[in-house]
Amino acid sequence: MSGARGSKALGAYALERLLNAVPLVLGVIVVNFLLVSLAPGDPVTALIGEYPAPPDYVERVRAQYGLDAALPERLLRYLGSVVRGDLGFSFANRQPVATLVIERLGRTLLLMLTTVVFATAVGIVLGVWAARRPHSAVDRGATGFALAGYSIPEFWLGQILILVFAVGLGWLPAGGFRSIRADYAGWAAVVDQVRHMVLPMLALSFRYMAITTRLTRASLLEVMNADYILASRARGLSERRVLWEHGLRAAALPIITVIGYNFGFIVAGSALVETVFGWPGVGRLMYDSIFTRDYPVLLGILLLVSVSVILVNLLTDVAYALFDPRVRY
Amino acid sequence: MSRLLIVLACLAAFVAAPALAQSTPTPGGTAIVVLGSDPEHLNAGISTGYPIGAVGASLYSALVYQDADGVVHGELAEGWTVSDDNLVYTFTLRDATFHDGAPVTAADVVYTMESILGPNHGRFQRAFNEMASLEAPDARTVVITLNRPYAPLLGLLTVFDAPILPKHLYEGSDPLANPVNDAPVGSGPFRFVEWVRGERVVLERFAGYFLEPALLDRLIYRVVPQDVARSTAIEVGEADLVWGFYMPTSDLPRLEANPDVAVWKGLTIPSLYFMFVNNDHPQLGDARVRQAIMHAIDREQIVEQAQGGLGEVAGGPFGAGFRYAYSEATDYRTLYPHDPERARELLAEAGVADLTLRFVYDSARGAFAAAAEIMRDNLRQVGITLDVQPVERSVMVERVYGRDYDLTLQSFTSSGDPAIGYHRIYLTAAPGSNFVNATGYANTEVDRLLTEAAGLADQDARAALYAEAMAILAADLPTLPIFDELSTQASTANLNGLLQRLDQRDGLEFAWFGN
Repeated sequence: MSGARGSKALGAYALERLLNAVPLVLGVIVVNFLLVSLAPGDPVTALIGEYPAPPDYVERVRAQYGLDAALPERLLRYLGSVVRGDLGFSFANRQPVATLVIERLGRTLLLMLTTVVFATAVGIVLGVWAARRPHSAVDRGATGFALAGYSIPEFWLGQILILVFAVGLGWLPAGGFRSIRADYAGWAAVVDQVRHMVLPMLALSFRYMAITTRLTRASLLEVMNADYILASRARGLSERRVLWEHGLRAAALPIITVIGYNFGFIVAGSALVETVFGWPGVGRLMYDSIFTRDYPVLLGILLLVSVSVILVNLLTDVAYALFDPRVRY
Repeated sequence: MSRLLIVLACLAAFVAAPALAQSTPTPGGTAIVVLGSDPEHLNAGISTGYPIGAVGASLYSALVYQDADGVVHGELAEGWTVSDDNLVYTFTLRDATFHDGAPVTAADVVYTMESILGPNHGRFQRAFNEMASLEAPDARTVVITLNRPYAPLLGLLTVFDAPILPKHLYEGSDPLANPVNDAPVGSGPFRFVEWVRGERVVLERFAGYFLEPALLDRLIYRVVPQDVARSTAIEVGEADLVWGFYMPTSDLPRLEANPDVAVWKGLTIPSLYFMFVNNDHPQLGDARVRQAIMHAIDREQIVEQAQGGLGEVAGGPFGAGFRYAYSEATDYRTLYPHDPERARELLAEAGVADLTLRFVYDSARGAFAAAAEIMRDNLRQVGITLDVQPVERSVMVERVYGRDYDLTLQSFTSSGDPAIGYHRIYLTAAPGSNFVNATGYANTEVDRLLTEAAGLADQDARAALYAEAMAILAADLPTLPIFDELSTQASTANLNGLLQRLDQRDGLEFAWFGN
């Protein structure tokens, strides 16, 4: 590919983008903080429980968590602690936010990365398949599937998958992260884990698979009409090589874009899917913290998501250059 | 008492029919109990949260417990005496040990109540505020002296309101931030093994338990955040017990049809569903308008359709759970039958026409949504338009207790005494305090009668006061009691020995697996 000069330019570009991200992240923190604080609902009520508490007790709890200060002061204090690398302390869980999030991050990443890989792979294969014979039965099937997949909400699909595969057929567990009754070790534990992962992963993948299928098909159809494809064919390359090596490579940019673009949606989807399947990940922590008005946890997760989205977008841009020699920075 | 009954029943079964020998409680096995949300920590002494209380019931012990009929018995307390003026309670403790081997002494009890429960436990504070002093004259004796007689005291000394924590692990620390909160040490029938946040809490039988050791080897509380998934977990055998509180009532018929699942319905802790009426509203301030609404609402239909039959139409301001707090003379069902015609007359008398009312409720409560639809239809027939406003829970709390509503549906429980949970619905309260009377109703006579009733231990004397209060409330109708909820639970069919205590979450040490 490009020589040393090209990769140096790419490195400088990445660094510049990374520096640009700093004010963006700060802005995101401020907006998140204001949004969360301005939402109705009092965390102290959620903390104390369903009982009339004496007003002085309520005030004590409020002061204990620094909720008695004015909004600008709380915002400055929060920004200060985030800059020092401290995400704060969870009201409800009485644990540092970082500890809570890190404990669950691995489980969510496991679910998300499998989803991205699976959905991208299946989406590309379906898309290519459909693009090879446009307007055939296969194409219509794949397009129909994409339309359906795009319209079905993840939480509903999750419940249907549970009904069919766990309750009806009894093939897979209905929820949870692993079997609780039996303590598996070694390979049995891995198999058990995979069995628990199949349904949430499918529920999360569907929409994403649909988008990738449609995009691959559209992008490939466009590319396959290009002159250099005709040239490749004229040089006598097999149709398979034309399609997979020349066609797909040129069609890859939109597909890479959509991986980055969808990252944020997968995080949002995982909050719902993790709740439906009782998967103890970050998404569920986010869902719970909304209901308990556990602001530090909510803000911490939103920050994590924002930073990840920014990073993934950067990686996407870098990936453009690596995949497509026409892209230069 | 109930334990004796079980033993007798088992003996009888054993003697009468050897074929039934398998119904003898057998130790062993792991039971998985469903929790709807992750406990925030495991210190039941600093929170009134439902999941923490559930795990805490198996982990901790308290001075007393309430059996399935609500009668109070000694747990850590071998017995107690009450002075003639009903002010001094003297408890004698049994020989008991914490899970770390340290003995449970009177000093632990006093320390827990003074330093942990008193400042931090919402419900225990009720009792704590009535206490003049708490003393431990020796290692086995605890003396509680009250400011004035307070009948609900014993009901507030159970494991849900007063779990006893080890002083030696908490003294000198901030009880809210003590690491023991995440790896708790109690003196209950099960001891802590492991907690994976968001997934499970694992307990095991504590061999050194001071009463009969638990039958189950392990007890696992598993977090299943979605209500439909909870009934599914029971159906497919991934859990053994789920309390009705956590299940959609619409799933019960399906579970009842499943031979591997046992469904139970009954009245345990009284739980009353009622409609708060904002008495500050210009029209709703008129008792005739409130009476009209009561006549207009078809409570039978709400019980049948919104509650899946799991309820009894409320007969009085304190429901049906406490016989002494109910008087037949002013039964609400007799006074206010479903009668749209009468409702229209009352509204006409009050000169009310074209009334639109904001009906606020917690959107997470499915039964409330169904009830709201029925009420909207009922009230439309008498010319009242209901503007149904489902809002998220924390918003509901702000709006209702800030009195920014016209009508709202609420459910309250009252543990073992109407004074614990129901009095607050009627006692005069300032706006802005949560979970008390949000109607704006203020009646000094009702305040006096209820306060006096709370101080009496004698149930007949209390009954006379309640009858008087009920007569006033029946006419004024500051809130509209709709129905008493029936409790339910679903369990694996071969899990026996459940429901030995007033609270379903308690007494799991008696649970065992049959064949």
